[in-house]
Amino acid sequence: MPPMPPDPNRKPAPGGRHAGLINAEKPKNARETLGKLLRYIGRSRYLFFGLMGVMLMITVLNLAAPYIQQIAIDCITLDGGRLSADTDKLVRTLILLGGVYLLNSLFSYFQGLFSAKLSQRTVSTMRRDLFGDLVKLPIKYFDTHRHGDIMSRMTNDVENISNTISQSIGSLISGVLTVTGSVIIMLTYSPLLTLISLSTVVLTILVSSKMTKFMRRYFLAQQIILGKLNSHVEEMVTGYRTVVSYSKEQAAVEQFNEMSDELRKTGIRAQICGGVMGPLMNCISNFGFVMIAAFGGWFSFKGWITVGTIQAFILYSKQFSRPINEIANQYANIQTAIAGAERIFEVMETPPETDSGSSPLTADDVRGDICFENIDFGYEPDKPVLKGFSLDIKRGQKIAIVGATGSGKTTVVNLLTRFYETDGGRITVDGTDITDIRKDELRRSVAIVLQDTVLFKGSIEENIRYGSEDASDHAVRRAAMHANADEFIRHLPEGYKTQLSEGGSNLSQGQRQLLSIARAVLADPKILILDEATSSVDTRTEMNIQSAMVALMKNRTSLIIAHRLSTIRDADIIVVIDGGKVAESGRHEDLIALRGCYYDLYQTQFAGNKT
Amino acid sequence: MKLAKYIKPYMMFVLLAPLSMVGEVMMDLLQPKLMSKIVDDGVLGNDMELIIRTGVIMLVTVIFGGMCGSASAFFAGCASQGFSRDVRNDLFRRVMGLSFQQTDRFTTGSLVTRITADITAIQQMADFLIRGFVRNIIMFTGGIIMMLTLAKSFGTIIAVALPIEAVIVVLIMKNANPLYAIVARRLDSVNSVMQENVTGARVVKAYVREKHEEQRFGEANMGLTEANLKVQQLMALLSPLLMVIMNFSVIAVIYIGGWQVQAKEMQVGEVMAAVTYLTQVLHGIMMLAMMFQTMARASASAKRVLEVLETQPVITDGSGATAGNGRGTVSLRGITFAYPASSGEPVLSDIDLDIGAGENIAILGSTGSGKTSLVNLIPRFYDPDEGEVFVDGCNVKDFKLSDLRQRVGIVMQKSELYSASVKDNIRWGDENASEEDIVNAARIAQADEFIRRMPDGYDSMIAEKGASLSGGQKQRMSIARAVLKKPEILIFDDSTSALDLGTEAALRNALHEQLKGTTVITIAQRIASVKSCDRIVVLDHGRIVGCDTHENLLGSCEVYKDIYSSQIKTNGGED
Repeated sequence: MPPMPPDPNRKPAPGGRHAGLINAEKPKNARETLGKLLRYIGRSRYLFFGLMGVMLMITVLNLAAPYIQQIAIDCITLDGGRLSADTDKLVRTLILLGGVYLLNSLFSYFQGLFSAKLSQRTVSTMRRDLFGDLVKLPIKYFDTHRHGDIMSRMTNDVENISNTISQSIGSLISGVLTVTGSVIIMLTYSPLLTLISLSTVVLTILVSSKMTKFMRRYFLAQQIILGKLNSHVEEMVTGYRTVVSYSKEQAAVEQFNEMSDELRKTGIRAQICGGVMGPLMNCISNFGFVMIAAFGGWFSFKGWITVGTIQAFILYSKQFSRPINEIANQYANIQTAIAGAERIFEVMETPPETDSGSSPLTADDVRGDICFENIDFGYEPDKPVLKGFSLDIKRGQKIAIVGATGSGKTTVVNLLTRFYETDGGRITVDGTDITDIRKDELRRSVAIVLQDTVLFKGSIEENIRYGSEDASDHAVRRAAMHANADEFIRHLPEGYKTQLSEGGSNLSQGQRQLLSIARAVLADPKILILDEATSSVDTRTEMNIQSAMVALMKNRTSLIIAHRLSTIRDADIIVVIDGGKVAESGRHEDLIALRGCYYDLYQTQFAGNKT
Repeated sequence: MKLAKYIKPYMMFVLLAPLSMVGEVMMDLLQPKLMSKIVDDGVLGNDMELIIRTGVIMLVTVIFGGMCGSASAFFAGCASQGFSRDVRNDLFRRVMGLSFQQTDRFTTGSLVTRITADITAIQQMADFLIRGFVRNIIMFTGGIIMMLTLAKSFGTIIAVALPIEAVIVVLIMKNANPLYAIVARRLDSVNSVMQENVTGARVVKAYVREKHEEQRFGEANMGLTEANLKVQQLMALLSPLLMVIMNFSVIAVIYIGGWQVQAKEMQVGEVMAAVTYLTQVLHGIMMLAMMFQTMARASASAKRVLEVLETQPVITDGSGATAGNGRGTVSLRGITFAYPASSGEPVLSDIDLDIGAGENIAILGSTGSGKTSLVNLIPRFYDPDEGEVFVDGCNVKDFKLSDLRQRVGIVMQKSELYSASVKDNIRWGDENASEEDIVNAARIAQADEFIRRMPDGYDSMIAEKGASLSGGQKQRMSIARAVLKKPEILIFDDSTSALDLGTEAALRNALHEQLKGTTVITIAQRIASVKSCDRIVVLDHGRIVGCDTHENLLGSCEVYKDIYSSQIKTNGGED
């Protein structure tokens, strides 16, 4: 019985062949996570049981094959060469053997199919659930977790689980079955010879666990230096302009070469460790081979066993040294997968945004009266940003919020849209507490243009239509015109159908901004929020936008957060935030006359000019 | 392959690795033969002493084989790691020498993957080739030879089984490879939907589009799952099929062997050895197939690496013979410039401009009017298509690049900080600057105050490219860095946009007082920021439409008047 070829489905795990060893992190609560993971697998339980059944069959067949082969060999050996009587038996045995092999391959094929289906189905559901939970997470989660981390849960962790289900579970089950089966059959042949082959197994386990520990250290070191090298490359290449303008190319290269050489050295060390492992295991298994051959020869010399038995023993001992190696390897893989699953479930179990809105108020009913009453808020418990902030905004008013960096201008917006929840006080829209309004209706009544524009992969048209799916082409066009985006869009090779690359990187910052303004225009909300939206559009374009905005802001409540006094001068009310509350508010002329904070801000803009 | 020259210095290791591998494989191949000797001569020949003697020989060969294997791992490691280090170093050096038009073309993301992931793939292939390939070929041919020495008749079995196996492998791989490409693409789109939702969570929520995004993700996810399933279903065929052939060959060996034993042409132990060899041979072919697949994957990486290695920088050092007048003058003569990758409409046309020593000049214009492109020509980030640029009275092409860039300091629109302490980030401007110089530069840039408020002051570490800093703080740190450099010509490319008004005014005052004699070129959006400059250059669609003081421009330049009125519109009564 030949050894099973390695599974060609196996994709190289990130980090290369020994990834399982390096990444083998210890999950915090393995049992609980495993339970949850099994529940996912349990959704395809028929498939799972089918897989188990097939695997059981394969194991039985795998164990039967050497047995039959031994009978065949014994047919030849019988009576030292005089075997004419047994040719029939030989043929019959070989036919039986052929049948066993055929069935074995057939079941192996089913095993491949089942485990692919099982892993894909499980992982696909998991991915869908993870994403579904992800979009419901509060903004705070995205603000406080590194985006790269969140992404890697979706990619690496899910991939690990998929690999583990399709490979580890299978080889674990078949491994355990094969080992116990082999031992039982071997015992029936010759307990003594079994004991001898088992001794090599013990040796294998001892050596491989020692080696693994040893190797892990070197692989970890390699991984760390590789990480350092990668982040150096990342920084120097993405910051290449700065590198060049400071003529730091040479320094960067030297630093790189140093790390690169260190990587070579640790790489060689790790590789030798990994490279020794194979020959060492090979050595041990060959040692077992010798033991069986020598002792088997001796036993058969004494007439205790037949030659066929020796052959069968060799096959069986090969058969169980493989799964033992594999079980050791899979253990590390499974641990990694469980640790990954733990991270995934952690995201899934983060409480989603609360939405207890029961008010019948819908976006269409909102008129746009907004009232902040005594708001307290801080992103961190001991660092309040707003303290007793109160502001009353009447429908259709144009409010400009000004203040120094970090004074809490953006916070006001975060609270109004319920990206964050207040610590104290309440916010009402049309007299209804916003926590009573259904979140989707609240947000539908507000359109935001953010400082950092967000565009999605797709055409320009689809991006503008983001806020209102059913808008006609005509409406899209009109919105773009209002936002002064129409002209540049029409100059693009495919106009409105132009595909944006990821993040809209094929557009200039200003153009991206115009698109997100057009999006807000099309959404046609009762409340409009512009968060420094015009800061990267040049002033002439801004002037055009402004004139469009004047029209847009009619019959809408608008909150504008901008540093530019020209943008906010014609606001109905200018609100100056200082020390977490409204320091001053009123019209431009009144505030100037007041000679307070606003006057100071205003003066610095123009005082700078006069020098 | 063109990467071959990198392996040359390690040729000795490359040769030693398979050589010691031969030792290991030979020992492996000897085992069945020795085994058959034990059975045939020892057991059947009733020779106990022979059994023990052969057993000892087997043990010795096993240990020797293990040593050879370890040595081979060592040699292969030395070769593949050294090889990949050299390629990596050359690649990085080449990337650090590329001109911007080339990095623009490759895109930074792709350059990073080429230096990291692609190199790793090549290294793994090299290692794989040096060890696995040779090992398998030896195993493969060795197995065949050993079988033939046992009995010629076994050759027929191999002659039948091998081609069938080869055909199966080729057929399945041929069908699987395009499927793998589809899987990679689908995985990309799953990731990009995910990425967009993580970075754009605010917008998704603000427009109440969670349902839509879930649907979009659902489609991408389904697509990926289907593609994955398809490829795995196909690959599930491979090993059972090969196993069937392998196993039937084993049956054939036993059957033919049975006849030959009966005919006294052969011994039982030899039949058993033949079974083992056959397994090795057929197993080898499968390994070879997988190796070819790995090679195919790595050759894509090698292609991407070579593409960069073979790119010659367009902008190279001048002779360096000129020293210039060192006063910080800039002249642009008859400049026309279009970005190499663009469709050809020039970004700048017919630009003529002289900037005097110590002059304070501003550049104003709408988005896409060519402001950044204009200043990028001064430190030779790009070369103009027509016309010439002079710094300190010398053509910029005559300077050594590092010398030229030492004279010109530029603060970019997007601040780039590095994972190092605040101090070290500023020190980029001048390696030898004292603490005092650094603090002073930070003070001019209005950064001193917030830096001192950071937990470790100037020793605070900047993580994640300054993710914890606000836009204004990052800008001020990059300004400090440029100030510390003490260039003759200092360019601000819209680099104060995130500062609030008070801070910007203070910065402008400090610069004015502390950097007397430095030529300052400011690109700005707000007229208020540049009103006080000696001259203001107004750009419109890549042409200079005005160049004068604020007051004069107000009288003469329509475009400027437009901009002015858009900003100062309602300010009439105040002035």
